[in-house]
Amino acid sequence: MKYLLVTTGSILLTASVLVNAYYQKKQFYPSVVYITRSSPSMAVLYIQAFVFVVLFGKMMRKIFFGQLRAAEMEHLIERSWYAVTETCLAFTVFRDDFSPKFVALFTVLLFLKSFHWLAEDRVDYMERSPVITFLFHLRAVALLISLGLFDAYFVHHAYYSTILKGPSVQLVFGFEYAILLTVVVHTFVKYVLHTIDLQNENPWESKTVYLLYTELLLSFIKMVLYMLFLFVMIKVHTFPLFAIRAMYLTLRTFKKALNDVIMSRRAIRNMNTLYPDATPEELASGDNVCIICREEMVSGCKKLPCNHIFHTSCLRSWFQRQQTCPTCRMDILRQPTAPTRQPATVPQANIPPPAGVQPPIPPVFPGFPFPAAWPHDGQPGGQPPQPGIPTVVMTSGTSTSPQSSTAGVSSTSGAAGTMPSSQTSAAGTASVPPFMMPPFFMPMPFMVPPPVPDANFSGMTEEELKAMEGQERQNLEARLQCLRNIHTLLDAAMVQIQQYTTVVQNLGVQFPSPSSATGNAGYVPSESNAKTDTTDSVRSPRTAATAEGAPMPQKTSAGAAESSSSGKDMSSSLSTSSTLSSTSDMPDLEGAVGYSSSKSDIPADHVNSQADSSSMNEIRRRRLQKFSSENLQALSEKDSSVKSDERVDLN
Amino acid sequence: MALKRINKELQDMSKDPPAGCSAGPVGDDLFHWQATIMGPPDSPYQGGVFFLTIHFPTDYPFKPPKVSFTTRIYHPNINSNGSICLDILRSQWSPALTISKVLLSICSLLTDPNPEDPLVPEIARLYKTDRDKYARLARDWTQKYAM
Repeated sequence: MKYLLVTTGSILLTASVLVNAYYQKKQFYPSVVYITRSSPSMAVLYIQAFVFVVLFGKMMRKIFFGQLRAAEMEHLIERSWYAVTETCLAFTVFRDDFSPKFVALFTVLLFLKSFHWLAEDRVDYMERSPVITFLFHLRAVALLISLGLFDAYFVHHAYYSTILKGPSVQLVFGFEYAILLTVVVHTFVKYVLHTIDLQNENPWESKTVYLLYTELLLSFIKMVLYMLFLFVMIKVHTFPLFAIRAMYLTLRTFKKALNDVIMSRRAIRNMNTLYPDATPEELASGDNVCIICREEMVSGCKKLPCNHIFHTSCLRSWFQRQQTCPTCRMDILRQPTAPTRQPATVPQANIPPPAGVQPPIPPVFPGFPFPAAWPHDGQPGGQPPQPGIPTVVMTSGTSTSPQSSTAGVSSTSGAAGTMPSSQTSAAGTASVPPFMMPPFFMPMPFMVPPPVPDANFSGMTEEELKAMEGQERQNLEARLQCLRNIHTLLDAAMVQIQQYTTVVQNLGVQFPSPSSATGNAGYVPSESNAKTDTTDSVRSPRTAATAEGAPMPQKTSAGAAESSSSGKDMSSSLSTSSTLSSTSDMPDLEGAVGYSSSKSDIPADHVNSQADSSSMNEIRRRRLQKFSSENLQALSEKDSSVKSDERVDLN
Repeated sequence: MALKRINKELQDMSKDPPAGCSAGPVGDDLFHWQATIMGPPDSPYQGGVFFLTIHFPTDYPFKPPKVSFTTRIYHPNINSNGSICLDILRSQWSPALTISKVLLSICSLLTDPNPEDPLVPEIARLYKTDRDKYARLARDWTQKYAM
């Protein structure tokens, strides 16, 4: 009503001015001159122009938006208010350029700005409106395209006029339209995302992510534009006071967007890796309504460290805004994360089974050189044989329990027979702490195992286990690699042992033969092995056969030391170059001595190999003593690289 | 998401309305609600009926709803525009909160104003120095605007 009154009043006034001029001057040209000379008539005409602009705006609004909603109107008025005051400030800077054309340009700018705001509001409204009609899409697309074209045209125009005529008020226009262009792009991206979202029945979860990144990118562009503008304005004119508010808002938006992206990424990564999925029992017990969306939780739920359970998708959306627990406000980024790795000193955590209860078992190692030729099950020490092959099933490759280490001991004595078996079954369980390496070996990288969880996981809570899962695969791979290296070492050790036993036999060194039948056991495999061995020039079937009947050092540790030291000397003096090279080169070695059965077994069945590894550790502990320092160096170099790999994995 | 959750809240409101409060959508726009709060009995606002508007953001419940009084009220934390200074409506918002909880919080804000974080410093000063005068003024305003 008010608008109608103003409009008709202004039209009447204009008409009266025109008629008055025409009556006074009678002719067209003089009347035009008269009107332009008289200030009151010009004022009336300006008012009329303004009214026409408003009417045009209303018409456009009708075409593109239809009826405006209350919120949109409110928004529009609020923003127009700021825009008008800022325009007035801009007038003060460009008072030299002040002219009707200048005012007209600013009016057009204001006009287009208000359409940008409305378009933004309208596209935002898409998300909450239940039905989006075809007309809506048509209007939105037409509006966005035309706004984009207008902006591009004005930017282009401003650019060329600045290039041609030097800096003028066109600078401000060009910059303002450039900003508006980013707004159009942003709105268009939102429109596309919302449209895709609407096509689907289910809410599109990754939409927020795209929105977040779009916002980040566009606010960055805007910020750069503002900085550029500030710089240019200070150089050419003066400090652009009128742009300060918008500049500040842009800076704040950018900072917030950046912060949001960083924090939400961290929180979501934490959620994906650290926090466990809620189990069906947890969901079934108590209220299973997700407090965020108020819908029942059936699957796809996560439990935060504070034990509150939510839908994963809801949590993700929330973490994109804030990184706290919705229920208890616990800051999930400040929360110390659940321990993801165990310290390297895990072996102490192994609970040794009571000594004597578990007799030593010579396990049939799949990776061991002579599995088929293993004749004596449970023979060493006369312990009752236990039919169960390695009972130690571990998930960690390097963890040892006394049980498996004694198994290793007995297998050692059984297998090669040259080892000082000061540890028979009972001694093995009691006297040798599991996995205790001689200090000599400590610098060897893989003596310090990769961070290994508890063997039976008994000391760990459910969360910790879940938390570890994230890195478990890499850990396993690293361990398998480690195991293969161990195996290489063992093979090398076996070669050397066989060599020096042969040498010992050849030299005719006799050891006191124990009455126990245990010792002979080991030579059956040696023999078979020696037969398959084609490259070792030192050994021959005959010597191996001789070795079968050889006396074994088994009684005393003194004897053990003796044999160990003498063996060491001989092996170092007599070790062939083929051994040396094969030690540092796994395929070479395996080809050479025919121990390659392990190759297929270890990766395929890592449980077995891990059980092996514990006893292998024991074997290795002794056998490696006989390595020459050259070998050791080569190995430690190789293993340090392995270890560094593991460290990378764990980090 | 937002629409579903607002619908659920509307159902909850009609099933189990909080004491002294009511709320519902204006027209068929579920994102725009109107709410009423009865002046709490043990406060100077007793007997008044205060109207509020609630605007839900599109990403509700991840952002707080915009709640403001449409009825004028004499309160240290509510200004003449009806804006409410309440932390859960700004930084302390959580998706676990609902409109009914927000309205209850506003009710308790009416009973216990927070003069340490005022939106209208004069009223807060009066509240701290001369409680009786504050109560009288609040009662006068309630009678004038909310009855």
